[in-house]
This record gives sequence, C-alpha cells and structure tokens, in this order.
Amino acid sequence: MLKVEKVGKSFHPRRVLREVSLSVDSEIRVIMGLNGGGKSTLLKIIAGIWPADSGNVYIGEKNVTGLSPEDRGIGYVPQHPALFRHLSVQENIYYAMKNGRGAVEDSNRLIAMLDLKDMLDKKPGVLSGGFQSRVSLARALASRPKVMLLDEPLSDLDLAIKENLLPEFKKVLKALGMPVLYVTHDPREAGLVGDSFSALVQGEIRGIHSAEEAFDLIKADYVSD
Amino acid sequence: MLAGILWNSPNTDGNRMNNFRKNIVAVLFTPLFLLLIVYPLIALLVRLEWNGAVKTFADTYFWLSVRNTLCAGLLAALLSLVLAVGFGYCYLFLRHTLIYKVANLMNDLPIALPHTVAGLTLLLAFGRKTCGFLGETGLAFTLLAVVLAMFFVSYPLAARTVASGMDKMETEIIDVARTLGDTPVKAYFRVVLPTLGEALFSGFVLAFSRSLSEFAAVVMFGGNLPGSTQVLASYVFTKVEEGELEMAVTASCFCVLLSLLIVATLSLRRRVWNAKS
Repeated sequence: MLKVEKVGKSFHPRRVLREVSLSVDSEIRVIMGLNGGGKSTLLKIIAGIWPADSGNVYIGEKNVTGLSPEDRGIGYVPQHPALFRHLSVQENIYYAMKNGRGAVEDSNRLIAMLDLKDMLDKKPGVLSGGFQSRVSLARALASRPKVMLLDEPLSDLDLAIKENLLPEFKKVLKALGMPVLYVTHDPREAGLVGDSFSALVQGEIRGIHSAEEAFDLIKADYVSD
Repeated sequence: MLAGILWNSPNTDGNRMNNFRKNIVAVLFTPLFLLLIVYPLIALLVRLEWNGAVKTFADTYFWLSVRNTLCAGLLAALLSLVLAVGFGYCYLFLRHTLIYKVANLMNDLPIALPHTVAGLTLLLAFGRKTCGFLGETGLAFTLLAVVLAMFFVSYPLAARTVASGMDKMETEIIDVARTLGDTPVKAYFRVVLPTLGEALFSGFVLAFSRSLSEFAAVVMFGGNLPGSTQVLASYVFTKVEEGELEMAVTASCFCVLLSLLIVATLSLRRRVWNAKS
C-alpha cells in the first residue's frame, strides 16, 4: 500500500501542494489536474526525487519520507521515456539488476508481455515513440518495485498509438498487482487506464468517482481562476 | 556592389539596394573580419621563407618546444577534463552547496585574470618559498609548472563546456537511474557521463587548444628554458627577440597549422556526432 500523509510543497511564493493525503492499494489510481497543478511534483516527492516541505510518505508500513530514491523501491516512468541512449533496449531493461534488483526471468517475462523481443539489441534512439514508452515501462517494472509512479507516460504519443497502448499497459500493471499512481490531464486516457480517480485542484486532492467527474472539477477550477 | 559580389545576386540597381539593406550587418562585418582576422594571418604566411623553414626544422630546440607544447598541452587538457568532470558532479548534485558556488565563481576568474597574474600566483603558490623541499626552485621552471600553468587557464573552458552539455541533457535520466537503485555517484558515471560524450570531447579539445596558445602564465611560472620548459609560443617570442624573424615566422606558421588541425578535428567530430544523433 502507498500512503501519502499531509504532504505540502511550495515553490516560493506559490503553494503547489496543500496537505495532500491519499492512500492507494493494489489498484491503478489516476490523478488528474491542470498542467502545472502539482501532479508531477507529487510523484517526485513520493519517489524521493524532491523533498517535501511537510508530511510523510509510507510504502507498506514503512515511513520512507527521509529515504533517497534508491532506497524507496519505487518504479518511476517520467513524462518522456528518458531511456539511456548509450545502452541497448535489453541493457535498459536489465539496468536495475546492476544494483541487485529484479531477476532475468521477470525481465524476460516483461519483454514478452510488452512485445519487445525483436528490439533487444537496438539502441533506444531508433525506436518509435510507442516502443520507447514500452521500454520505459518494462525498465521500471523489471526493478520489482513496491509502488509504480507514471507521470503522463504516453503524452508524447499520437492518440491512435496511445489508445492501442493503454489497454496493454493496464494489463501489465494489473498483472503485477501493486499500487499504481498514474498522472494525466487527459480524461479519455484516465478512463481507459484507471480503477479509481482523484483530482488535484488548487493543491488539494479531491476524491471522485470517474474521469469525467474529475475533468468537470478541473474545468470549473480553471474557469474560476 | 560588395553585397552583389558576396551574395551572388542579379546585378540590377534595385537588387543591389535591397541586398545592401538586408545584409547591412554582413556588409559591415565582412571588411572588418577580412582586415583584422584574415589579413594578419596572410601577412604571416607570405613571410614564410624556404631558408627560414630549413633553419627552423634543423633546430633541435624547435622540436623540443613542439614536444613540450604537445605533452604539456595534452596533460593539462586531461587534468582539466578530470576536474571538469568533478565540477559537473557538483553542478548536478551539489548546486546548493558552498563548494559549488565557490567553484562556479572561480571558473570565471582565470578568464578575467591577466595571465601574467595567473603565472605569478602559481609561482608564489608552488615556487621556491612554499615548495622548496621539492627542489631548488620548488615546482617552478619545470615541465610540470608548464602543465600547471596551461591547466590553470584552460580548465574553465573544459568546465563550462561540460556544464553546458549537462544543460542540454534530459535530466530525467538521473531521476530514473536513482529509482532503479543508483546512488548519485553511480548515476553520474553510468548514465550522465556516457551521454555527455560530445561535451567531454569538446571540453578536452578546447582545453588542449587553449593550452597550446598560452604564453604569459607559462613563461612566468614555467620559464622559457630552451629544450627544457620552452614551448612553441615562447620559442616564437625568443626568436623574435634574437632577431631571427624567419625562424619565428616558420614556428608561427607551424602553430597556425596545428590550431587549424585541432579546429578541423573538433568540427569533424561534431558532424559525426550530429549525424549519429
């Protein structure tokens, strides 16, 4: 389980997150919000990339607030695939094994699930955007994380490719049965991938029932701004 | 008319005026560039004489100064690169620390400082009084002093080049590497440096070329001892002082050739890198 407790963050003079709390079990929780609304900041705080000004992050029962990203056991897929361009696809996916994480069998299973078998010797630079996103997901999952964080992982892709990839991503993420936080501002993408939904509005988390409801909430926030 | 000749346009009055207006900056730039950069080089090259070349190439001290220049320049560039890699780490991971702030400030200092002053600071820091236990003159007036003087003036270039390479880099690769279990040091060596190949190479070549051209700091700290600490720049100076102008011209042309070779290497490597990416 992932639990975020009263997390706050300011980038002077703006308060981006105001006592944000949420908990995610083995499900895909989609967080929606306006661009620049603090969604990525929240993920980076959970991953340990940025420190929070206040609040705590728990993974299972463990308080990981003071830990470095390498000690948290989190899988992170950023907005752009951020693949290691000097390494082959296979070396990217096996990367965490250098640090004693994951296993060859798990990685190979992910390679098969994400249809990457024919790409293993290639360098990421020659892959299409869709395959780069698959490699990015496989690389994060191959480290056997306890929690997955996906920050608009398909934002670089065309709508048609996105709609093909999303059910595949969902299948893989569900098969591994871990808490997943998936950030997007696209209600259609949210509807396709999410089990539950939250909206990040003016730095606060609001629980909602559907992607459309989140979208309406965000739209109202944008208009009132 | 100049615009017409330079930009190959049809020679009508209207076109001439239009070209002049459009290219006014280039029209002003071109004669100044030709006068102040190209003409002096030509003035040097036309003074090259066969006798002077034979005399220079038969001079052992000339070849020793070439050896000193290349060896000291390479070592200084290598040292600059090593330190620039260290600075790059501070630039990425320790930007709020005092050491980064001081290092960043000091990067500009050797550029602004007169190089005679740089040489004097090195002489006072590593000369007879402070490092007398290392030899009669401390580190001063040795080939190591030449290396250190060259390094002092070329390191900022390497550091700046590496840092600007990092500015162009996708920093999310570091975040991902960290979540995959890398410490900052591991992420730096496994992920950051391999993606900075071009910046590292450019930093090395720029530091090398800056080292080759250094005179004042080298002479102040390393001296100008023929065969021992004399480099190409100081060889040219000595030959002018001795009235051997034709030898100075030959050595200078050799320097120009060497510089062109370095610039061409850098440009070629960049093209290869751009083609690859």
